Amino acid sequence: MRTLKRQGMLYIMMVPVVLYFVLFAYYPLARGLQASFQDYKLMGDRPYIGFDNYETVAHDPTFWNALWNTLAIGGGILVAGFLAPLIVALSLNEVWSRGFKKTAQLVLYVPHLLSWVVIGGICIFLLSPDTGLVNLLLAKGFGLAPINFMAEEGWARVVMVGSAVWKDMGYNCILFLAGIVAISPSLFEAARMDGATRWQQLRYVTLPQLLSTMKVILLLNTLGLFRIFDQIFVMRNPAIASKVDVLMMYTFQKGIMEIRIGPAAAASFFVVLFTLLLTVVVRRMTRFDEV
Amino acid sequence: MKRKIHALLTVTTASALLLSACGGKENGANASPSAASPSDSAASPSASGGASSPAAGGKLAILAGNVGGKTPEGNTEFAKAIGSLTGLDVTLDKPASDYDQKVLTALGSGAKYDLIEVSDVAKLRAFIAQGVVTDLTDFVQGSAELSDPSVIPSGEWEQLKGADGKIYGVFSKFQGATMPIVRKDWLDKLKLQEPKTLDELYNVLKAFKDGDPDGDGKPNTYGLSTSGLYDIQGIMSAAGLKYRYVMKDGKRTIPYASDAAIPMYEWFAKLVKEGIMDPNFITNDTAKMRNLFLTDRVGMITYWDAWVGMFNNLKQQEDPKTTFVAAGMASIPASDGTILMRRGDPDFWIIPANAPHPDAAKKFLEFWHTKEGITLGSLGVEGQDYTVDNGTYTLTETGKAANMDHGVPYWYNANVKSPFPPLPGVTEAMALSKQYATLELALDTWPDAEKIVTNYALKAMSGQMAAKDAVAKMQKELKDAKLIDE
Repeated sequence: MRTLKRQGMLYIMMVPVVLYFVLFAYYPLARGLQASFQDYKLMGDRPYIGFDNYETVAHDPTFWNALWNTLAIGGGILVAGFLAPLIVALSLNEVWSRGFKKTAQLVLYVPHLLSWVVIGGICIFLLSPDTGLVNLLLAKGFGLAPINFMAEEGWARVVMVGSAVWKDMGYNCILFLAGIVAISPSLFEAARMDGATRWQQLRYVTLPQLLSTMKVILLLNTLGLFRIFDQIFVMRNPAIASKVDVLMMYTFQKGIMEIRIGPAAAASFFVVLFTLLLTVVVRRMTRFDEV
Repeated sequence: MKRKIHALLTVTTASALLLSACGGKENGANASPSAASPSDSAASPSASGGASSPAAGGKLAILAGNVGGKTPEGNTEFAKAIGSLTGLDVTLDKPASDYDQKVLTALGSGAKYDLIEVSDVAKLRAFIAQGVVTDLTDFVQGSAELSDPSVIPSGEWEQLKGADGKIYGVFSKFQGATMPIVRKDWLDKLKLQEPKTLDELYNVLKAFKDGDPDGDGKPNTYGLSTSGLYDIQGIMSAAGLKYRYVMKDGKRTIPYASDAAIPMYEWFAKLVKEGIMDPNFITNDTAKMRNLFLTDRVGMITYWDAWVGMFNNLKQQEDPKTTFVAAGMASIPASDGTILMRRGDPDFWIIPANAPHPDAAKKFLEFWHTKEGITLGSLGVEGQDYTVDNGTYTLTETGKAANMDHGVPYWYNANVKSPFPPLPGVTEAMALSKQYATLELALDTWPDAEKIVTNYALKAMSGQMAAKDAVAKMQKELKDAKLIDE
């Protein structure tokens, strides 16, 4: 009680934040959970039907296809979206010119500020089979026939992963650079005095010291793996839908397009479950609590 | 002690969460305490006609996708105009985008509207099943205005009936059809006739690609562009194939997934291979397709009949000396002479089951089909979109930009004539629609079937997959998922 009295002001300051999450996160979540056990109609009675909605979803092959797509695209984004900014951040750290460094950071960061609608438009513009820059370069440089990147199944996931990594690379790169800047210069100085080469400094000083930042970024990216939606919604088309429709797209189609709220709610709780499981696995694997 | 306090706080929070979650009433009308009426929402782009108009007839809350002004300000004026013409205190919500999602969110959250505009018969079926809509049979049959066949032809009501034979909606406008729209000036320039067979169509499209119809000396034109599978009915007609479901001896069939569709997909693949068809047709949205047509990049697209007039009007407004002439074309006839054209799903109003003012809604529905209602829905608001001087109507610049379309570009009521001549080419296009266009059959299973059909049809058309294999896969997947009977 004494603690409560002493820290009362802190608890009061927390009230708006707690209220925000209760109203806009936990309350809808609880209502969603409730809907997943109901024969949910937009109006009228909504009888409880046990696990029927979950059974419907579990027996729907489209759902499992969407799960596989999510793992393929989300996994690709997770791995490439972790490694690419790390490599860029380590490379930029080796650059002496401050001007070049700042410019490179700016250029890398700008796509993160753009919405998926804009990025989708840019991709269609760049990858168009007749006037797209990429196909023009492939034709002029290598004499290749035009590739319909946005409409061929073989390229669909590559385009999704590539555009997602490109969009968010600048953001993750800045997080890595902030972690690198925070490393004590005395460690590098000591390494240099011991005769360590640039590569050895990177291998034995920078990377180990950056471990905690890497764990945080990996965990944050893992949490978002099953929530991919905007990008797919904007960039999909019927020709590649079977290769790129992810779990959130499945939920959207069931709930909004087909007005089947119960199965949509059940599918969204599968997403919550998968996210929880994956997060626990990643935390264990990275020994997150040992930071 | 510290642990106990933390545990207490946790339990309190969890209890509050559970109570708040389970405390909502089951009744859909009051399902969510967060549900706000349209006028309560601060973020809602509501336009109230009640502020400066009498509210003698009560309140009316409308959620519309097409009906209304073209800008937030225009929408406010539009709501005021409804208010002053009907004596109702009108609130008009017209979301700028994602209309279907907003309708669903509104209905699911318990928001109360008296009228909602819907443009999809499949949605109407779903809404009936969900207990969302009011039965309007008695109202329609008892209304002198709406039951008059010269206002709305009797047969049209079949479109808005549920499986129980009851009427659940009232038309908001006359819905036309989609058709091939061709550059008539290019045909004339290349001395070609309007194609009547698939071979003639191929020759015309090839000439549009190779014949430099735009006269700039560059090979930068395509014969044909579409927006995905939307809407190749005008060409698939050549094989007698109707889109969506066709019932045959009581069995569900999808003609686009039949063997008869194979040569048609091969025909499209040939166009793509030879560079006659826009290779971006899979990723095009309809706006991009229209732009290609308006910017002399393509000689034929497939789109709504009403757009024939709008294309011509837009180009003439841009340059009065333009040579651009768009013309609607009948579908390519099948070997037995049958011409298949696609009539669009109707645009209509529903009165939700939780509407607080259903009588005001019914008053509006009757008004909407009178001369005043049609004039408002087409020309817009007097003084803002048009002026009347001694019986002569003149469009303002705002009115010209709106293209005489505030949700009702065309209407059923044969007693109401437009004060302006029709846009160039539209009369001929609509005559074709009226003669040949028929509705598609929308069954509940179509959303699932559509994914399979469009996926393989686009692959076959673009040449990614042999048409024979694509159709075989379509048939297998449709049968496995029990989406067709044969």
